[in-house]
This record gives sequence, C-alpha cells and structure tokens, in this order.
Amino acid sequence: MAQRVHHFKLVLLGDTAVGKSCLVVRFVRDEFFEFQEPTIGAAFLTQTVQLDESTVKFEIWDTAGQERYRSLAPMYYRGASAAVIVYDITNPDSFNGAKSWVKELQRRGDPNVVIALAGNKADLESRRKVEFEEANAYAEENGILHLETSAKNANNVKALFVEIAKKLPKNPPQPEREAFPIAAPQQTTNNCC
Amino acid sequence: MADGTPQWAVPPEQQQHRQQQAQQRPDYAAQRPPAAQAAPTAPPQAPPSGGAAVVSPPPSAGAPKVNKFNRIAQMEEKVLVTRTRDEETEDGRLVNKEAMTKIRDAWVYKRVRSRVREFTSYRQALCFVGTWNVNAKGKEESLDEWICADWGQNGQYAPDVVAVGFQEIVDLNAVNVAVDNKTQQRSQFWVERLNATLNSPSRTQNDPNRGYILMMQRSMVGLLICLFVKNPHRQRVKAVSADSVGVGVMGMMGNKGGVAIRLNFYDSTLCFVCAHMAAHRENVVGRNADFMNVLSKATFDVGEQTVRENIRNGSLSQWALGSGSLGIADHDMVFWLGDLNYRIDESLPTETVLLLAERGAIDKLRTLDQLNIERSEGRVFEGFEEGILSFVPTYKYQPGTDKFEQRPEKKLRAPAWCDRILWSAQEPAYVQQLTYKRSERPNCSDHKPVYSTLRFTVKDVNAQRRESIYKELFALLERYDNRSLPAISLDKSELNFGEVRYNQSVTLSLRIANTGPSCASYRFVPKIDESTLSKSWMSVFPTYGMLVPGEQPGVVTVTVTIDNNTAKLLNAGREVLKDTLILRLENGREYYVSIKGTFARSCFGMSLDQLVLYKDPIHTIALDAIQRAEQFPNENEVSPSNALCIPKELWRLVDAMYEKGLSTPDLFTNHGNPEEVVIIREALDSGSAFGVFSIHSYAEAFTSFLTSLSAPVIPTTVFPNTEINAENIQAMTRRLLEELPPIHYNVLVYIISFFREVLLHSEKNHLTAAKLAHICLKHCAPADVVMDSAMMQRRAGMSLILIHLLVTSSI
Repeated sequence: MAQRVHHFKLVLLGDTAVGKSCLVVRFVRDEFFEFQEPTIGAAFLTQTVQLDESTVKFEIWDTAGQERYRSLAPMYYRGASAAVIVYDITNPDSFNGAKSWVKELQRRGDPNVVIALAGNKADLESRRKVEFEEANAYAEENGILHLETSAKNANNVKALFVEIAKKLPKNPPQPEREAFPIAAPQQTTNNCC
Repeated sequence: MADGTPQWAVPPEQQQHRQQQAQQRPDYAAQRPPAAQAAPTAPPQAPPSGGAAVVSPPPSAGAPKVNKFNRIAQMEEKVLVTRTRDEETEDGRLVNKEAMTKIRDAWVYKRVRSRVREFTSYRQALCFVGTWNVNAKGKEESLDEWICADWGQNGQYAPDVVAVGFQEIVDLNAVNVAVDNKTQQRSQFWVERLNATLNSPSRTQNDPNRGYILMMQRSMVGLLICLFVKNPHRQRVKAVSADSVGVGVMGMMGNKGGVAIRLNFYDSTLCFVCAHMAAHRENVVGRNADFMNVLSKATFDVGEQTVRENIRNGSLSQWALGSGSLGIADHDMVFWLGDLNYRIDESLPTETVLLLAERGAIDKLRTLDQLNIERSEGRVFEGFEEGILSFVPTYKYQPGTDKFEQRPEKKLRAPAWCDRILWSAQEPAYVQQLTYKRSERPNCSDHKPVYSTLRFTVKDVNAQRRESIYKELFALLERYDNRSLPAISLDKSELNFGEVRYNQSVTLSLRIANTGPSCASYRFVPKIDESTLSKSWMSVFPTYGMLVPGEQPGVVTVTVTIDNNTAKLLNAGREVLKDTLILRLENGREYYVSIKGTFARSCFGMSLDQLVLYKDPIHTIALDAIQRAEQFPNENEVSPSNALCIPKELWRLVDAMYEKGLSTPDLFTNHGNPEEVVIIREALDSGSAFGVFSIHSYAEAFTSFLTSLSAPVIPTTVFPNTEINAENIQAMTRRLLEELPPIHYNVLVYIISFFREVLLHSEKNHLTAAKLAHICLKHCAPADVVMDSAMMQRRAGMSLILIHLLVTSSI
C-alpha cells in the first residue's frame, strides 16, 4: 500500500512437531499439509498484514524445532522484532518447552521483542492436555500475547499475526508527496473584474 | 429491498422512454437533452420498480473514456521524477525502493479500480442543481416554480440531493466586500427560504422521509451555496466540507470567486461549486482565469481517514495517500454552477443580440456563446459537460418583468447566458442530465434562475468485500515474492560417518540441486558468534557455489579427520563427533546438515594415567564419561591396587621389538610400513595378536604411541633449570626421577631399561646412547614448534640427563 510498509523480522520458535511450519504455511499461502516434513534449517517467507493505519510486512523465519538444533535458534531470534512461540495443546511437554523459549527470549532476545504464545492444534479439543486458562494466565504474567490457533482449520492464524502487527511500533509515515512531487495543475495569472 | 432502505427518488427514466415512444409525458420530453449533448453510450439501467433502485452491474461505456479532469487519470501519467532516493547496489544497479513500492501500489490500485463492481452496488439518484444571481433582491417570492420544477405532480421525482447557489445576495460594494454582517443575514434569509420551500407541509405531508435537511451552507460576500439531502439519506452523508476562494479585487477579494461544498454521499464523492466569475463582455480571459483559480485553490480538509477511504473505494488516486485534504478535482462528480458571466461573442452588435434573444432565436446565439466557444477551443472547463442551451438567455432583465432591460436610463446590455450549470464525472456515464432550464419565477432579479435535474449513479461499497479483494491482490503478490525466492534441495540432511578411527580421514558427499526459479548462490556459514564453519576435525569443500536452474547438482564433500589433537579431546570426553553445518542459500532459507560419527577409541592420544587403568583392550572402554564411571568406579584415584604399572600397550610393543631382534640395523632410524603401523595400532586397541611385521613398523608404532600421549612422558616442568655439569648431573638426575609423576616414572624407567638393552646391540644396530637419548627426548617430550633459548637450554640439559641414565646404572 502506499502507506509506508513497515518491515518486521518475526521468528517462530517452539518444540518439534508443534506446527510452526504449518502455521506459517497457513498464514502465507493459506494451505495446510497434514504431513509437513520437519524443518531442518530455517525457512524464510514473507507475508503482509493490512492494518487500518498501516501495512506490516513480516519477514518470517520458521526455525527447526528439534532439540539438537536448539543452540542455533539465536541466529534467528537475534534482531527479531517479534516471536511466535508455539506449543501443541495436546502435548504438555511442548508447553513446558514454550515456557523455556519465553525465558530464553526474555533473557537473550531483543528487549522490545513482541512475543506471542500460540497454542496450536486447537482443533484437537478431545485430546487437549494444556488448558487454555493455564496458558493464558502464564501469558498474562509474562505480558505476552496468547492465542489458541489451528493451522488445520485456519482458526486464529491470521488474527495471531494481526495482533502482533498491531503491537509493533510504527514510526510516523513520511509524507508521501515529498518523495515524488506532483506537478501542480497549470496556473494562470489572477484576473479581477 | 431490505427494511430501512432510504426512500429513493424514482428516476424518471422509465417515463422518458415511454414518452419518447408515445409522447405521453411532454414535461420530460421537452427536457430530454438532445443526442448531441453527451448522451451516455450506455445509459444507467432503469430501476426495476418504483422505490429504491439497486442497479447492478453499473453502466459501462465499453472502453472507459478517460476524463482529463480526472485526477486518477492524471496521476497515472505522472512520472516518478526523483532520483534522490536511488540506492546503488554493489553490482552497480540502481534501486529506488520507494519507487518500487509506488509502482507496486499503482498496480494494486489499478486492479482494485478495475474490480470496483465486485464490491460496489449501484443506485440511481436524482440531484437538483439551481443557480440564481439575485442582484441583492429577494423578499417572499415563492421559489417553488424554480426549486420544485421537476418534482412531478405528487413529488415522486423529488430529488435526493439539492444544491442551490446564489450570487449577489448582497450588493458587491466595498463595505459588503470587507464586512460580512450583511452576507450572514442574507444567507440566513435564503437558507430559510429554501428550507421552507423544500419542507413545505404540502410537499412533505408530514412524512419525515420526504423532508430535507441542510447539510452545509457556505457564503462569501455575494456568494452562497446550500446543500440539502433528503432525510432518509442523512446517515449516509459523510465528510461534508466547504471552502471559499476569492478571486476578485487584488485576486483575492470575495466580490468574485467561488464557494464549494463536498460530501461523501453513500460512497460516491460529490462536489458542488458555486462561482461568480469576472464580468464584462470583453473579459473572457478573466473568466477563464477565475475558473482555474477556483478549481486549483479550493481545498477541503476532510482528514486522512476520509482520503484513505475514498482511495480504497476507488474514487481517488493512491497518490493522495497521506494527505488530509481534497481538491475539487478529487471527486467522482463535480457540479459547477453560478453566474459564470460568459456573454455572446462581441462580433454580434448588442442590438442584434437583443433582437435575436427577444425572438428566441437561440440557435444562432448558442454558437456565439463565449463559454461554448472557449470550451470547444479547450481553454476552460476541460473535462466538463454542459447540456444544450435550450432556453432564452437569462440576463439582463428588467426586474419584476419578463422583458430584457431596455429602459433608456439604464446602460443597454446584450442578453447572455450568464447563469450556467456544468458537471464533470470520472465515469461519464454516471451522470445524466434530465432537465436544463431556466425558471420564469421568481423574477425580482435582473437574472432568471436556472436549474437542472441530473440523474446520477451512487456507489455503495461493501467494505468487507472490498477488503477481501485487497487481501487477495496482496496475497497474489506475496505468492510471487515467495515463489521468486531461490530454492535448493539437499539429498541428505545428515551425514553419518560411522566409526572413525585414529589418524583416519573419512569423506562423504552431499548433493545440492537448484529447485528454484533463479540462480541459487549458496555458502556454508558459521554459527552465531563463531568464526569457523565447523569443528576443527571436519573440512568442507567447496564452501560456496552457485547453480543456475536446471544445472547438474553441485557436490560438496565433507571430510572428518581424527588427528592426534582431536583424539586427545575425544579421549578426554571434551569433544564428540557431532556438529551441524549451516548452508545458507543467499536471499532464501538456511539448511542444516547434521554431521555425526563415533570415534573408534584408540590407545593413541590418551594419557598414561588413563591407559594404566584399563586392563582390557581400549575398544571395550566406553568413551562416555558416565558409562565409564560405572565401569571404573575409581578412575580418578590411580593406585597400585587398581592400575597397571605401565600401559599394556607399551609392554606389548617393547616385547614385540625385543623378540624381533634388537640387533636389526638402523633400528629407530628407518621408517616402518604405514599400513603395518595402522594394523599394529588396531591390534593394540582391540587386543588381538600382532601379525608378522617388520621391526621398523613396531618401532614406529612405539615412537608414535609415545608422541600421541595427551600428556608427554616427560613434562617440561621437570626439565633441569640449571646447566648440567659433571658435578651436578647425579643430583639433577635424581631430582628428575623424584619429580616425575608415578606412572610417568614407571614408563620412563621402562623405556630407559629397554634402550639399555638396545645399546647392547649397538655394533649391529648402529645406535649410540646419544642417538637413543635424542629419540627418547623427541618422543617422550615432544618439542613445541616455537621455543625460546631458555627452553632449548633446558632440553639440552634434559638430553644430557637421559644420556647419563642410559650409560650409567643409576636407577
């Protein structure tokens, strides 16, 4: 949009198989794959979010969740303006993992990083092991966003990124016309009767 | 129709069609603009029935006619003029991110504008526009005949929007121009008169839906413009704003100029300008200039929000973003009314004009109308349309009569069409003039009132649908953005080197294929805060490369080498054969390649203290500290009860050499067979028996075993600190032996004893005490690459002590 586009680096963190890549694929391409391969490395994608006042372009790093790659995560969260920490509501260990990611970010990430905790696989209500209230209370304590999402049925996925976009600081847009002066309509000299 | 839909005026088009066929409705028949008058090629569709009209799809004029007055069209012709924000990339290309953003935005908005029909529904509405120069007159004369001329018998054609402009509501004398008391008072008078006319009980019949509400009025000296909308539409009127532009005395006073009101009516943007332009028959240029001045100077401060909304609705160019104000040209429709003061061309004498006007010979006069001439020459009102003048000139009348002013005491004026109504629409088919007439009453002024009823197409935007189109377009661009990212695939994400042995190199390869749409430049990058790509025991070649799409996969080899240093670390549990290589695809993602292997443990590269602990072959001893602790609970406390005197490996090697014959010439001088050395080492590690090998191979295994130890047999700390001479050598030797750690003492004594045996065969093996001392020092205390002179002195002293040990029996 002609409103200034604000670019923000966003990183997805969380234990293995919680659905980080699925969330990104749903957000960026609106697709879902039941059998998403594990991310070995870090995938880069972009997606734009339209807010009323501005446009936010996310430069998304989707990281590897496997434990053995954990030490590589700082490469991606350093300098990130926003982080989505994902857990799986059917897997309590992944929620504990999420908490440790929050701690790590608070300790070692950018001090102003906007953190969102995403309880993914919310479509699997019958297998729920992490209560919404528990996660929500934790998020409130830590002053971070919390949403339950489902990459599978797309619930709350867009909302998650929109909420983050809203929380990100945006510098006042520069006057558009300064950059490309528009030739004034042809002026004629004033005449009076 | 849904409940609560405002009551819309019934556009009289159906009646027109009917009367065109049957001449049943002469009132509109007479008013239908002649074909020459810009009749839209595809007139808006008729409402399906009485009441509110929802029309879809909207009128289409085929290839859209670009209105030059249209700011969107103007903007698209703009050039991105500045180079100031250009950035030069390293390869010398110029990139202007701002220009790229704007070009991209232009694409998005153009697409949105081409799809407005998908999120807009269209209705037909009627607009009444009236103008009257009242010549500072006006009392209680009825305005009905003028204002309500087109309402139809039962008010069924009562307009949805009413815009009325007056000129000369006060005398244009110096006082009135300077002080606006009188103007306020007269404005109020005329607003009330209009209000009373529009809302007279006989018309509304007390139905509030038939009433009108004043949305805005604006006056400047003699000028006044009033805007009313029918009550039911009130909720859909937004961002009403007004401005006035004086272009009179000194180019700024209000005796001439314009007053204007703009509004968002539903989601259409309308602007009404009431102007009083330069007088006098000869001053055509002045009038043209007044038009341009009013057009360019009027500004409506509607706020950024409204501007943004108009842009998103497709009513305005995205170039206006960030601005909070609009100009006259920034509207879907502009209506320009007033005493524009254009006269009949001066080529016709005043008397002739008067005669022709009195006779109603308007065809002749029309061609000599200055405004018609100026417009046809493109000198004024570009992009505007006007209905055919089918009424007699409206100026100058003897007030209160229907006669042109010809009284002898008055200056004789050539009659003229001073009072005019023009319009401009971004989409020409969206406005259709139904009537363009003058009114005979009231006649208190020297001008007759003029009016026009226009049918116009109103946009009603479904914001949700609109946003989904924006979203769709951005998603499309995003897809291309992501798709144009380079992509590669690796044939493996893990390289497993299996068991890697001491002093061995193992190489595996990785294939990289370009699976993306563009050149893929890749390189291995270090982990954060590290300066090397990988652990020291691994090497990668090549570390970077590029593949064009479709090119044969690139092969990268990864080699793991266990040198003595690595073995020392691995044996000590301070390193494991595990690492991750990071392959960065420039401008794309990063790929991890896991490297793993297991170290086939060797007695080489270990410490004497560890080696004496293990009575079993070293291969059976776990590398993992925890497992080993279970195997050897007292590992950290070496004592005669749980340890060997010397490493069994050392004993085996010495024993083998002893049996092979210490008299072999050039023992410890010749090299062994490398393959045999490896097999000997394997046999030591696995505990298997030696084969039949050259004694030189055993000798080399012996010396390299000593050299590989993670801590040398003779640590530099025990080197003599003083110069060795005949007097102190005995004492210094004793001191050395006392200072050596127990196992090191055992080992050194064992080696010395062995070398003494070797010396017994010196005639055949050509070895001397000095040579053996040198060999002993070289392998039991490997020299650093760089040594200071003090250290060299101490090594020399150490050598003397070793010779002393070899030639005496002083242990």
